[in-house]
Amino acid sequence: MSLLKGFAARMRSLFASGASEARMEEEFRFHLTMETERLVALGLPADEAKRRAFVAFGGVDQHREAMRDGRGTRLLGDFLSDVRYALRAMRRSPGFALAVAVTLGVGIGVNGIVFGFVNTLLFRPIPARNADELVGVFTVDTKTGTAGLLAYQDFVDFRDRSGAFAGLAGETGVPLNLVGGSDGSSGSADMVWGGMVTENFFSVLGMRPVIGRLFAENDAPRGGNAFAVLSYESWKQRFHGDSSVVGRVVRLNGAEFTITGVAPPGFKGLRTFGFWPEMWIPVGMHNVIMPGSTNLLEQRGDGWIYVVGRMRPGWTMQRTQRAAGLFASQLATSYPATNATVGVTLLPGASGFDHPAFVKPRVLVLASTMGLFASIVTLLIICANLANMQLARAAARTQEIAIRLSLGCSRGRLARQLLAEALVLAIPGAVLATFVVRLGPWLEQFMMPHLQFRVGLGATSDYRVALFTAGVAILAVGLFGLAPALRASRPRLAPTAANVIGARARGARPRSRMRGLLVVMQLAMSVVLLVGGTLFVRSLVVARGMDVGFDPANRLLLSVNVGLQSYDAARGRRFYDEVLTRTRALPGVVTAAWAFPVPFDTYGRGVGFYVAGAQTNAKDGTIGTDASFVSDGFVKALGLRLQEGRELAAGDTAGAPRVMLVSRSLATRLWPGKNPIGQRARQGSASGPEVLVVGVVGDATFQSLGDRSHDRAYLSIRQSYRDWETLVVHTRAEPTSSLPQIRAIISGLDPTLPTFGVMTMEQSVGSGFATSRMAAGIAGFFAGLALLIAAVGLYAVVAGNVHERTREIGVRLALGSTPAGVLRFIMSGGARLATWGLCIGIVCAVGVARLMAGLLYGLSPSDPLTFALAPAVLVAVVVIATYLPARRAVKLDPIAALRSE
Amino acid sequence: MAVRHPLESDALRGSIDLLVLKALSLAPMHGWGIGLRIQQISRGRLEVNQGSLYPALQRLEHRGDIESAWQSTENNRRARYYTITRQGRKALGEEVDKWKRFADTIALVLES
Repeated sequence: MSLLKGFAARMRSLFASGASEARMEEEFRFHLTMETERLVALGLPADEAKRRAFVAFGGVDQHREAMRDGRGTRLLGDFLSDVRYALRAMRRSPGFALAVAVTLGVGIGVNGIVFGFVNTLLFRPIPARNADELVGVFTVDTKTGTAGLLAYQDFVDFRDRSGAFAGLAGETGVPLNLVGGSDGSSGSADMVWGGMVTENFFSVLGMRPVIGRLFAENDAPRGGNAFAVLSYESWKQRFHGDSSVVGRVVRLNGAEFTITGVAPPGFKGLRTFGFWPEMWIPVGMHNVIMPGSTNLLEQRGDGWIYVVGRMRPGWTMQRTQRAAGLFASQLATSYPATNATVGVTLLPGASGFDHPAFVKPRVLVLASTMGLFASIVTLLIICANLANMQLARAAARTQEIAIRLSLGCSRGRLARQLLAEALVLAIPGAVLATFVVRLGPWLEQFMMPHLQFRVGLGATSDYRVALFTAGVAILAVGLFGLAPALRASRPRLAPTAANVIGARARGARPRSRMRGLLVVMQLAMSVVLLVGGTLFVRSLVVARGMDVGFDPANRLLLSVNVGLQSYDAARGRRFYDEVLTRTRALPGVVTAAWAFPVPFDTYGRGVGFYVAGAQTNAKDGTIGTDASFVSDGFVKALGLRLQEGRELAAGDTAGAPRVMLVSRSLATRLWPGKNPIGQRARQGSASGPEVLVVGVVGDATFQSLGDRSHDRAYLSIRQSYRDWETLVVHTRAEPTSSLPQIRAIISGLDPTLPTFGVMTMEQSVGSGFATSRMAAGIAGFFAGLALLIAAVGLYAVVAGNVHERTREIGVRLALGSTPAGVLRFIMSGGARLATWGLCIGIVCAVGVARLMAGLLYGLSPSDPLTFALAPAVLVAVVVIATYLPARRAVKLDPIAALRSE
Repeated sequence: MAVRHPLESDALRGSIDLLVLKALSLAPMHGWGIGLRIQQISRGRLEVNQGSLYPALQRLEHRGDIESAWQSTENNRRARYYTITRQGRKALGEEVDKWKRFADTIALVLES
């Protein structure tokens, strides 16, 4: 009991050291007063009594210190003085401190970023209640094993009658024409992706809204529940986080919906890989959202719902799977026409609710594991380098340490001091790392293909990332601080004595060879990365100058989706014609045409052609190719090159014979060695409508510069109607100057029709380069990082060498060696390592460049400029990294050097 | 008056603890009073360096052998009074036994 009290007293004094100090002073004062009074009472004069009282008390300061020691505040005080000492040392060598901060910060930060991605891939945090009870529910063909999605009627039976789940809900992606985004004006109209969900979706997930409320089953009768729930991001960005958004009415695909609430932050739909829905709408409104989809809720067998199930309390996946499988076989007996081979399969919710046929898992898991491994190895190398540098610095202080040890400084105390120094050095790095980690989401936007809608992993910085990064940081500090601390505090009195005879160098050899090997590896790696990065950057430069086959200058793009406005084909064609006529009449416009997809579009379309006699692997005998659905005048509007035949004309209407243009590549593929003009192909299948080739256009780049294939057919929208098209306007001046007039034309025809994807063709092409730019950026970044790490490593080795050979250098200088000679002698050690690193690196780089060949546009993987530039940069860095410590050797005073150690 | 240097050896530190416990075993007392009492008990032969009492008091309090609280003295001054705990009494008993055995042994050796 009293032990506890004693402990409490100790804690009190530790945490309230101010109070303890005050108590101590008061006790001392009381004591001295009493003693003085006693002495006065014995007859001494007041002054003398006071003096004697002090003498009898002994050194007041000494007692104070003893009490502070006893309170344990000594540790803290020591630590603070260590920190002060370390800060002074840091000010003395800011370059070192900077190197530590940058390499450690980037090293830890990269670990955090990589883990952020891995976290999203492996643990996909969904802000749902008890997320571990959630499973993805998919169909599986009992004959072929092919996975698929549930149909609505089957879903309803599973939900209401199977008893296998505590709750079952579903979601599917739908495109939405949104009008009234932020201020209700038609200018804010946009096409966005939404999630059409069963009414119980949010209640099964157990989510809470940020504001407002989410859907509930009994909100309103189906078809009357025109409600929308916004995603958190959409609310923040499109609606500026305005909380009055609840209750606002927006138009979706032409119908009015009331916003009821905002979903929790971080919720981007169930699927990891899919469009991020901006809002969710109940499936009861399906006929408004997807006009004409009358039998959407009637189907069985093959379906469209991504289903999430909540397992019953205490049930395992296996048990749930068995129950669901049993029910699936009951359905198979009840509905043999549709469900005979429909089984059911469950996937753990943590795997992301993606379609099981989606090829995500192994490759990505492998890639992320490797990424994590690589970044940890990088950090380990960084730590080894920093430890080496600390050792080199500690070596310089051998004398100081030896003296302190012999003066009775405890070894623990010394180790604590060195550790404190490491900590002080590491803190700026750790702070930097927290900023680097935040770059993760920003980096992702470059790594993901640029699309009109947001997709991606949405790497989140949740507690796991924070924990991981903190763990990594602590590990790093421990590694780079503890090793030198342990080594330096080893009693070195004997070796120091031995140094006088100069017998020390031998023992140091294996260690420095190890260090040398590490540096050679680092240099080799940075050569590889430098070459890779330079190749990417050079390729980008070359590619930007490459011919894309069309003219991006002065072209404005603007897309519409009239299908979502419930236009039929006739109305759609009338709309397209009217827009073209009016736009072409604008004064600033050269010409205009409809096309979809346009070059560098977010979307792609394909079509199959049956050509008599042509070889193909497809079961139906067709040959697949990319296709664009275009209006007349598209060749001029896009600035394509018409090589043979004619352009589409206004006369190529629905009633006229079907015609198309083909790219040169497609012409060569379908009719090798023949004149393509006048050739015929059947669209879709051997019995499909016959299409006549009337023209050939030059190959154009439509997707990315890495396009393997330039096969493309250009079909007429008058003959093959499409409800989603992009208006391409060739303007005389700056393209966006015509935008208001074009918008006016469209809203004049249909004020509720949103336009989206508005940009210039040059912007679109530019964003097409984003991925390669990012690849170049990442490669460049890692090349720079590797170079920095290697430079720090080399510096540490050379600096360590200089310290260890101070005596030898002194002897050389004393025997008449010139400073230049010493410089050469020291730098030659570094140069030897650099040569090895360079040679190994070049050999590896040649191999890696070969592997990269497929990613380089218009550049040979053995590009001579690259292979000259990268080593040159490396050599420059090597010279600097060795010169700095070598210079210190030259500046040594020979006498002092001889006396050293 | 001759200045007595404190004997800061472990042996003395241990004996100060013992003396303090012994002094407090009679009645609760403040720091100055404890010093005085030790002097009186030892009839002036043991003069503890007065200031070094306080680290010892702190140490004993942390160990749980004594407790302390602010109280008023007879002349109405505020002073920190120390009280021996049950654990302290036990420790005192053990220490006293140890000392006695030690002193007996030494005496045995010296007298033989």
